[in-house]
Amino acid sequence: MMLKYPFTEEQNTLIDLVTQIGEEYIKPYALKWDEEETYDERPIKALADADLFGIIIPQEYGGLGWGSFEMCLAVEKLSYYCAGITTIYAASFLGSYPIILFGNEEQKKKYLPEIAKGKKICAFSLTEPQAGSDAFAIKTIAKKEKDYYILNGMKHFITNGGIADIYIVIAMTDPAKGARGASAFIVEKNDPGFSVGKKEKKLGLRASVTTELFFNDCKIPKDRLLGKEGMGFIIALKTLDFGRCGVGAQALGIAQAAMEVSLKHATSRIQFGQPIYNFQAVSHTFAEMAIKIEAARALVYNATKYIDSGAKDISGISSIVKCFASDVAMWVTERAIQMMGGFGYMRDYPVQKYFRDAKCLQIYEGTNEIQRNIIARELIKYYK
Amino acid sequence: MFEKIKLEDLSKENILAYGEFYKGELNSSSLEILSPLKEIAQTLNKKLILVSLIGSLENIKDWEEIKKSLADEVWFVINEELKDFREDLYTEVLVKIVKFSQPYGFFFPATKIGMSLAPRVAGALQVGLCAHVNNLEVKDNQIIMARPTYGENIIAKLISKSIPIMATISLGAFGIKYGEKEPSIKEIIFPEDFVWKSKLKIRRFAPSKKKPTKLSTAKVIVAGGRGLKNKETFQKLFELANLLGAEVGATRPVCYEGWVEEERMIGISGVTVRPKVYIGFGISGALQHTVGMENSEFIIAVNTDKEAPLVKIANLALIGDAGKILELLLKNLSK
Amino acid sequence: MEKIIVCIKGVPKPGSIKVDPETHTLKRESMELILNPNDRPALEMALRLKNTYNTEVVVISMGPPNVIPLLKYTYALGADQIILLSDRAFAGSDTLATSYVLAKAIEKLSPFSLVLMGLKSIDGETAQVPPETASLLGIPSLTNVKDLFMERGKWIAIREMDYGEEEIEVTPPIVASVSPLAFDYIRPPSLKRLLEVKTKEPLICQVKDLNLDPQRLGLQGSPTQVIEVFEKKIETKGLVLEGSPEELVEKLIEILKDKGLIKF
Repeated sequence: MMLKYPFTEEQNTLIDLVTQIGEEYIKPYALKWDEEETYDERPIKALADADLFGIIIPQEYGGLGWGSFEMCLAVEKLSYYCAGITTIYAASFLGSYPIILFGNEEQKKKYLPEIAKGKKICAFSLTEPQAGSDAFAIKTIAKKEKDYYILNGMKHFITNGGIADIYIVIAMTDPAKGARGASAFIVEKNDPGFSVGKKEKKLGLRASVTTELFFNDCKIPKDRLLGKEGMGFIIALKTLDFGRCGVGAQALGIAQAAMEVSLKHATSRIQFGQPIYNFQAVSHTFAEMAIKIEAARALVYNATKYIDSGAKDISGISSIVKCFASDVAMWVTERAIQMMGGFGYMRDYPVQKYFRDAKCLQIYEGTNEIQRNIIARELIKYYK
Repeated sequence: MFEKIKLEDLSKENILAYGEFYKGELNSSSLEILSPLKEIAQTLNKKLILVSLIGSLENIKDWEEIKKSLADEVWFVINEELKDFREDLYTEVLVKIVKFSQPYGFFFPATKIGMSLAPRVAGALQVGLCAHVNNLEVKDNQIIMARPTYGENIIAKLISKSIPIMATISLGAFGIKYGEKEPSIKEIIFPEDFVWKSKLKIRRFAPSKKKPTKLSTAKVIVAGGRGLKNKETFQKLFELANLLGAEVGATRPVCYEGWVEEERMIGISGVTVRPKVYIGFGISGALQHTVGMENSEFIIAVNTDKEAPLVKIANLALIGDAGKILELLLKNLSK
Repeated sequence: MEKIIVCIKGVPKPGSIKVDPETHTLKRESMELILNPNDRPALEMALRLKNTYNTEVVVISMGPPNVIPLLKYTYALGADQIILLSDRAFAGSDTLATSYVLAKAIEKLSPFSLVLMGLKSIDGETAQVPPETASLLGIPSLTNVKDLFMERGKWIAIREMDYGEEEIEVTPPIVASVSPLAFDYIRPPSLKRLLEVKTKEPLICQVKDLNLDPQRLGLQGSPTQVIEVFEKKIETKGLVLEGSPEELVEKLIEILKDKGLIKF
């Protein structure tokens, strides 16, 4: 890294701990998990035992009470080792934000302490087969019946499906009201009528688990409603505002790893009597990688600090972070394969994994096309 | 059946060797250690005595091995309570023997039992104990013991200033030699008031499902190290071993990684081997390992690093990716 | 249940060995030390027992001051108390002198139900200290322990020896050395405790605090002495071949045939 950032002692302790976990619990196995598409609970257990699920949970509920900046530091350093495992970790944060931001005292007391200890994993459940970018097109219904809500419908492409204990489900309580007719609910894995579908076979992030969720007269007590009826999309969109920086941080880790591996190759690979790094086509590519990664990192770090300062207007900037950093990761990983030539194409080497992992970041938590919509919409608010 | 002898009458100031019994058979490592110890004993003009603790004489199966051994005398302590190895009681018995016979040296094989028992005995006697010794010699009437140490390329020569001189001897470091004269066998009678009690109660014993490896006596060994990159590739060595009638060996790091059981570890704290042919796949040859195989007749190293220590001591070195070469070799051999 | 004591050791980081040219012992105070990797399973066992039986875990180590960060690390793992046994007089100790000091310190910490140690250190690799210490304390020892739990006030230990697996019942207190393969998962330190331990210092004990006989310490109290060390020199011995994997395998098969290992 050419631009060095000053970290506090606490932040350095965090970075060292995450690095230790990456080296010991993830690095030796990452390629194997990718190859076999298996979920290993040991790195997740390590992150839990290390108190790392509690970074953004307020101290009064057993967490560290830190902010987006520290969360993104952890995500960045972890995804250097495996973006798949990091997805499980970061997605759990995404699923806990609704409770942190909109939960009432009882809900926070009930769920946050166990989430902070990593004893309960969360999953944010919005997407349906006919409702991806067009999130407002969801059809899952939540019907109020006395002291319960009955949910019917399904979700798909849900990260942490099957391994999570807590699912934040956005469902329609009043279809007639359209965007204002959705509500957010806390569904627990053992709730009657709730089941998890098959595990998807993915291009990348294969160490993580993505499934469908089914609600068949899923009966939950009415105190599982987050906020008020009708707040569903407000909760969802605010949650995504906070989660987007995590994706940006994840992109940084992937891009950094890809650049380092391909750079090591380029400086030692001798062709035509010299290291290929001597050829401008190659060295200029690495220069471009360095430019993009430093820029992306500066963006992620500054944006998270802005969010942590308590800013209210974070939608635009978090979209910019997610969009830019994920595009950088995709560009860097593609070029990294090219710089490694035939070796880059072989699955014995990690650079092809970084490439496949990076692709998802341009898609999930709002495609980069949708991000550009958001940025454009926010932009004109500043220039009236 | 054998001459019964009291503790007071045991011959004194000799060299003692611990004889480890299991299911009536003397562990071969106990016979191995007699080879260097016999030379030491002869140089110092002392007797070499094999000491064993057993439950009953009926259990013993291989009298031939005992009779052919290099020991001058064999001392048995026989009691039902000694049927199974329990370190506290075994220690009490051996300490009693040492107190009366005041041996000059007392040596154990570096088996798991030896490594559990020797330190307890040394602690009780407050004497020094050297571990994993693979060379013993007498110089100026002093026993000098050698072992590789400090994890790196260093050999240390040690002495012990207390009597008895004690050490555990590396498995496979010495070959079994036979003696010309049958040892005289005695049964030690302990005093009436000796308490035959152990604080340990063995509730259950499940014998090892895997056959003990014949690594130390194998004629052909194929061994693997970290250069094979992962467990799946390492396991292919078993296929090769089958085709060549060989045994599979491993370096310390891959045992700790869990690629194969620790019984297959070749090296200072594992087994020493002396095969006719040794092939090392992806092994750099840290001293830890090489002391365990350097006396192989013909060493073949397969490694990507020309400067690797194993490559330097090999009779034939193939510079290439060990995993690829192993797989290609298997493919060609099965045709 | 009475407290559990864990003995840990700082070992040289591979590649940073410094040997004193006169005494031939390690100059531990001037090397970068890491926690003996085999001690991690012992700590894990102690912490799991702490969870199950709600007991205190005390970690002790005999070594120079640069062992302190390692003790702090064990606090971050979950240890309740950390103690350093440090004194110039300990320098050059062999396993007997080390076991003596540990035994005295452990005695001072009585009552205790269990002492756990790693199977062996990766520098000396003798595996002698656990049984030796137990012998000096006059209590039972068990090596190669894979599992340990309490039943009606007695320890039940599962250990793997050369001939098979044993389940042993023994009245506490005992010393147990833990097999490196005992656990599939070994916990990392906790961030909260890492931050907490920055302001904590371990208790430091010297000779005067432990009532030790100076004759039994350091080089003086170490009957085993290294009289000479030398580096093993390796010279290139044989034929070194490079080429494509196919060429190399062809040569290899030729040699194997020559040695009579393949019948064709």
